[in-house]
Amino acid sequence: MTGRLFEIREFALQDGPGVRTTAFLKGCPLRCAWCHNPEGQSFEKDTMRGGGGEERPCGEDWTADALAAELLRNADIFAQSGGGVTFSGGEPLAQAAFVAEVADKLRAAGVTCALETSGHVPEADYRAVVSRMDFVYQDLKHHDAEAFRRWCGGDLALVLRNLAWLRGSGVPFAVRVPCVPGVNDASADREAFLRLAGPGTAVEFLPYNPAAPAKYPMLGRAFPLCPTPGTPRRSATTPANASPAAGTPRKRAFRDGPAK
Amino acid sequence: MTPRIKRLLDYTFDRRQDALRRDADWAPLLARFVAEGTPDGARARIGLQEMLRAEGENPVFLNGERIALTRTVRQIPELHTKEEMDARRAAGTAFGEKGVVFNLTADFGPAIRDGLDARLAQMRDRLARARAEGDAEGVEFLENAILSVEAVLGFVECYRAAAEARGLDDIAETLGRVPRFGARTFREALQSLRVLHYAMWCEGEYHCGLGRIDQYLLPYYEADLAAGRLDRDGALELLEEFFVACNRDSDLYVGVQQGDNGQSVMLGGLTRDGAPAFNDLSRLCLEACGELKLVDPKINLRVDRNTPVEIYRLGTQLTAKGLGFPQYANDDVVIPALERWGYAPEDARDYTVAACWEFVIPGCGLDIDNIDAVSFPGALDAALRAVARSAASYEEVEAAFLAEIQRRADALVEKYRHVEILPGPFVSAISAGCIERARDLSRGAKYNNFGIHGTGISVAVDSLASVRELVFEKKMVTLPELVSLLDTDFADRPDVLAAAKAAPKMGNADPRADEIAKRVVAFWGHAFDGRRNDRGGVFRPGTGTAMYYVWHAREIPASPDGRLSGHPFPANWAPSLDVPVKGPVSVVRSFTEPDLGPVCNGGPLTIEIHDSAFVMPDGVDKVAELVRFFVLRGGHQLQINAIDRATLLDAQAHPENHRHLIVRVWGWSGYFVELDKEFQDQIIRRVELAAP
Repeated sequence: MTGRLFEIREFALQDGPGVRTTAFLKGCPLRCAWCHNPEGQSFEKDTMRGGGGEERPCGEDWTADALAAELLRNADIFAQSGGGVTFSGGEPLAQAAFVAEVADKLRAAGVTCALETSGHVPEADYRAVVSRMDFVYQDLKHHDAEAFRRWCGGDLALVLRNLAWLRGSGVPFAVRVPCVPGVNDASADREAFLRLAGPGTAVEFLPYNPAAPAKYPMLGRAFPLCPTPGTPRRSATTPANASPAAGTPRKRAFRDGPAK
Repeated sequence: MTPRIKRLLDYTFDRRQDALRRDADWAPLLARFVAEGTPDGARARIGLQEMLRAEGENPVFLNGERIALTRTVRQIPELHTKEEMDARRAAGTAFGEKGVVFNLTADFGPAIRDGLDARLAQMRDRLARARAEGDAEGVEFLENAILSVEAVLGFVECYRAAAEARGLDDIAETLGRVPRFGARTFREALQSLRVLHYAMWCEGEYHCGLGRIDQYLLPYYEADLAAGRLDRDGALELLEEFFVACNRDSDLYVGVQQGDNGQSVMLGGLTRDGAPAFNDLSRLCLEACGELKLVDPKINLRVDRNTPVEIYRLGTQLTAKGLGFPQYANDDVVIPALERWGYAPEDARDYTVAACWEFVIPGCGLDIDNIDAVSFPGALDAALRAVARSAASYEEVEAAFLAEIQRRADALVEKYRHVEILPGPFVSAISAGCIERARDLSRGAKYNNFGIHGTGISVAVDSLASVRELVFEKKMVTLPELVSLLDTDFADRPDVLAAAKAAPKMGNADPRADEIAKRVVAFWGHAFDGRRNDRGGVFRPGTGTAMYYVWHAREIPASPDGRLSGHPFPANWAPSLDVPVKGPVSVVRSFTEPDLGPVCNGGPLTIEIHDSAFVMPDGVDKVAELVRFFVLRGGHQLQINAIDRATLLDAQAHPENHRHLIVRVWGWSGYFVELDKEFQDQIIRRVELAAP
């Protein structure tokens, strides 16, 4: 079967342990106002136009076989470093069957797979793919249903149902919160996120990416989040008030071997 | 870092030593040499004597210093006029660069261990024998060498007496001991090294490497620890003081650019017997560099497939600090390569880098390892023009290119068959074998090989891939049309330029480019087989460029890979600057695809990594794994820059805010703001290609 990607990034450093390649799948059911990969939102192919007038097509169709073969080219350094492939997006689970098929091929070749998802997908799709993963980064973009609807255009209950299933699935996971100044980064917000994630869950609070607006002009769009937050980027750390389990359990979980 | 080291560091950073400096007018000395027709050896000896006499007039002791010696005279005597050198060149004598002994690492270990008095005694015995044998050249050399060593000891005595007069008793005591006698302690060994290394510069040598300090200083460190004279922190402090001192005078030892001074150190690897050599002193050296964040000494780290990941991590922690080093060398590839070139196994296991990255053996090598360079894109340009109308297939083009490489290699062999080197009696006295042979080092050492760089290999390979695709596969243009487009920067044919840019490129793990690279590198690796210079040395081809990458790029117009005229070549063994690569894993894969053993003169793969790589705590682990991947795949040498483009641009605009910003240039780390704009721009271009 065929899937649509907008980027394959080699040596992706923030998407799990070891040396990894991240496959970015095109298309997302959400429209987060701070999205720093707007070219990943539409399921259609786009053209990005740089300041110098140069054009770059965005969106490429891959068969599962071809994508798996491309990703497996780095299988040696994945094995050497305890790394692997991460599926991101867009929303990778919006192309669940495709991701599942590619993941099966990678796992058959001994490559571990990770997933970054908003969780805003039908439960059957979520379960089908997550059960094939060695590790999952489950995004929580907002803890408040109304705010989540307003800022992202989504239904928080769906995300939480998937998170609840994930918690019981045995698949190692961490919750990731993209911190957006003025939207979800107050200390009360943090406490709410930790409560929502549940006790014992590793929570990573990701600093806001000030380069987020950069790609919008290339797509002929305006950055939806105004005024633009200007907080300088800091290192990604779990705050001191995070749950005791927050830290770096994900690496150990990963090296225990693939999830069954 | 202790407050004492911090003070010395600040002193150096604030360049307060500049106020101590004065100018010397050596023109009368040079005029005397010319008028009297002074022989080369005597000139070197007199130059050193005069330099050290001037230096000895003004001993400097910095506040809190324990390892003394600061240079104060800005100029080192010129020993020959330009007219004299031009006349010799016109008469058919080839010289390497300035003509003097350079780009080498002296045999510091034995000199520190034995002391210079022992060398004097040895030389006096040997002089008596030379006289008895009527060996005039031997007598001349030994007389000059004895006087040179005595000049160094006399200079040290000036410092010692001044220290005593100022009540600096421990410095006076140390200088009373070394380098005259063998060092007993770590401090004495470092002081001795400081004097010997400095004296080489004063003799006129340049690009003087420090070599394997973690090996030859280890006995003193261990003895001090065992005797309780010193603990680990104390040793770290002394080492840091020595490293700071390497930066105090380094601006006076400028190469092509500021920072290009060749003060390199090699850590780890194997001992001469083949045992793992990385030790606690190696670790201390890495720690010292990490604390000081200075450009000197430039750290090299030898690794192999069995090196523990932890050592890669220690190295990567320096990379993460933005120092542009360590530069890694892979013993699995380098040692067998050196053995194939005739180096004895125990010498091959003892290798270091000369200054940037050329592999040499400390103490016993008089290799001129950067004597010239072949421009690969230049050779391709010439070949394309020669066969534009006749080549009926891609294979004919490639064959013509390789034949042109061979032609250029042969021309260099002819050009450098006979090379003269100007004498260095002092460095000879601290190099292996010179005293026994009663011959100056410049007359030849155990190894006398010449190294030839290869510039723009990736540009040439990409260009070949482009010719194959555009001319012979897609038949978009004919070869004569393509050649004429090179002269006009593809004017009127943006379609051809776009196709050229889209053609396969090295650095993307694309077999269509990489298999060409394998053939080109294999050919280059054997282009000098069977050729020897008249000292019996071989020619060692390499993947380095030194500064030739800038010069060679000016010699040709656009190239078939889509590089336009005026655009530079990449430095060393690296993707073309016009190639947006997939990422560092693909770059490593492409550039380790060829067999690099035959091209092991030196010349690292240079990778830029965005400094955000180290934002996450495990970034160091991942970059360390990338380095290990390079080694496991048979790479020979690797250097990594971790830098952010925005920082570089800001530094160009506001240099005053970025005085300490360090970048890797072609084989050394320097301060970005001290580079000429041409080199700054080249680094910015490289960094642009590093995905964030």
